[in-house]
Amino acid sequence: MDLQPSRVGAVDRNGQPYDRSDPAGYGTSVTKPEGYDAFWQETWDRLQDIPLEPEVRLVPLRSDDEVIVYEGFYTSWERLRIACWYCVPRRTAGQRSPTIAIMPGYVSEPSLGTGKQWARAGYACVVVAPRGKLRSNSVFNPGYPGLLTHNLTDYQTYGYRGFYCDAWRAIDLLLSRPEVDPGRIAVTGGSQGGALTIVTAAWHPAIQAACPGAPYLCGMREAIDLTHTYPYEELNDYLRLCPDRRATVLRTLDFYDGINMAPRISCPTLMNIGLADPVCPPETGYAVFAAVGAAVKELRAYPGEGHGAGGAKHAPHVQAWMRHHLQVAA
Amino acid sequence: MQTPTLPHQPEPTDFDAFWDAVATELAHTEVAPEVELLPLRSSAEALVYGVRFTSIGPYRLFAYYIQPPPATGAGPRGVEVQLAGYGSVVHVPVGDLDHRWPEQRAVLTLCHRGQRLSDRPYAAAYPGLLTDGIESPESYAYRGIVADACRAVDFLLSRPPEEVDHGAITVTGNDIALFVAALRGREVAGVRAAPSLFYRLADVLPTTNDYPLAEFNDYLRTYPEHAADMARTLGYFDPLAAVRRAACPVHVGDDEFLAPLRAALGPHLAPPS
Repeated sequence: MDLQPSRVGAVDRNGQPYDRSDPAGYGTSVTKPEGYDAFWQETWDRLQDIPLEPEVRLVPLRSDDEVIVYEGFYTSWERLRIACWYCVPRRTAGQRSPTIAIMPGYVSEPSLGTGKQWARAGYACVVVAPRGKLRSNSVFNPGYPGLLTHNLTDYQTYGYRGFYCDAWRAIDLLLSRPEVDPGRIAVTGGSQGGALTIVTAAWHPAIQAACPGAPYLCGMREAIDLTHTYPYEELNDYLRLCPDRRATVLRTLDFYDGINMAPRISCPTLMNIGLADPVCPPETGYAVFAAVGAAVKELRAYPGEGHGAGGAKHAPHVQAWMRHHLQVAA
Repeated sequence: MQTPTLPHQPEPTDFDAFWDAVATELAHTEVAPEVELLPLRSSAEALVYGVRFTSIGPYRLFAYYIQPPPATGAGPRGVEVQLAGYGSVVHVPVGDLDHRWPEQRAVLTLCHRGQRLSDRPYAAAYPGLLTDGIESPESYAYRGIVADACRAVDFLLSRPPEEVDHGAITVTGNDIALFVAALRGREVAGVRAAPSLFYRLADVLPTTNDYPLAEFNDYLRTYPEHAADMARTLGYFDPLAAVRRAACPVHVGDDEFLAPLRAALGPHLAPPS
């Protein structure tokens, strides 16, 4: 077998070595492909015709003095049943609470611990397990690696079409719950969770605030040249093996790129990126932040930080953002 | 609904017998290796293979096996066995911005039973794996997982000596790597471990709400009547007991919290890196 060399080091969009000294000025070549708006409007409209069939089941094993934990389920794109964790603070039982939707990263399982942490702070919280994650993978299970290239040459059936719908539908689950204040719902997540935060804030009218971190699935045309770490390396693996499909692949990716979603965001948005992020290049973070349509938006770029994008340093800013924009008393 | 504490547990008197039984079960189970090139993940710099072999049960496992291409030098090569941390997904161990496999060593990254690609018929739950079967040491999921890690070493020992330098197999991982140091210490050149699942649990559990260790607290709170059984089971998985039986150099890091572990390693404590 004639194996092709992989790339070494970052290259710019012309294939030339790139020193990454000006990530904020790098920009993007991502644009909306023809048919983009109609495609996503049709997707949204078709999703509304699918009954949500919400269900929550108490999980005594994971509940404690402060937090009631439920396992949630709902029906999404292609009528797949999707799972989630749903955490409710005990101290506000009988009241409607401000609510956070937490979107998961690419390989990690949805973090119940993070959901319980928000619930301890007084928020109802859903932690989403989109299709392919454990408990949502009986029908769709492309694996990791695998999800990023599932049906990559067909934008209509690309794996992330349903995946994005699963994120939107988690908000519908929240709206079906008596513990949730429908006027005070926010969304957050890091990496793929950052991408899903952008996608959800862009499309779901119930979202009042958004905090995407180290957003993945943004500026994908640039990212595959700027980094060689997984998950983006899945795309490079595919293109190394099938170079003749490059144009089709990039067209598909444009349909799903957060940069094309971000102009629809109107809620206050706080984003964080790490300037030494080897997984989601900071250049793509700057580009998607520039595209965010919200009048109130803020970017915190952390020098020297990797994919954690500030992590513990940034967490108080997210908490303050949520308190302020969801009108939570300190 | 207060969480009970985990009782302190002395080392079980039949600790060696318990693990000897696992070793015997492994010895009676054929490795049955199968190696297949994965062209999608391979490049001119790294040949990525998917390998399968059998652990106790019998249970069929998957691992990624990465070798530098022949052009970078002839074998045999030393191999680093990577035991992935707590989570369902095990990464393909290639892909870095400026580090395209300059070393001559190969890598074997194991998906233990329950993790993706080794999840038929047992798909572990997260959270959930850490207390699965904890009612007894024989039923505890980690009995099989320790065996799986040993079997990864056995797989490499089954490879021809012109491919693998059998005297240069090393292991990295969490607590499980310490059990490899005990059960396969004579077959490996060294172990590097960062215990995170079973070390000093009676001290740690009252101080944490963080998963995965919170799984133990969830279990104690929900089944307080099983606390003694849980402590008994965990006695067989105590890293301190494992390192007392280590038979190779072991590096565990310099953190003060790990001082008892370093002391227990005695002559097998690897010098600081």
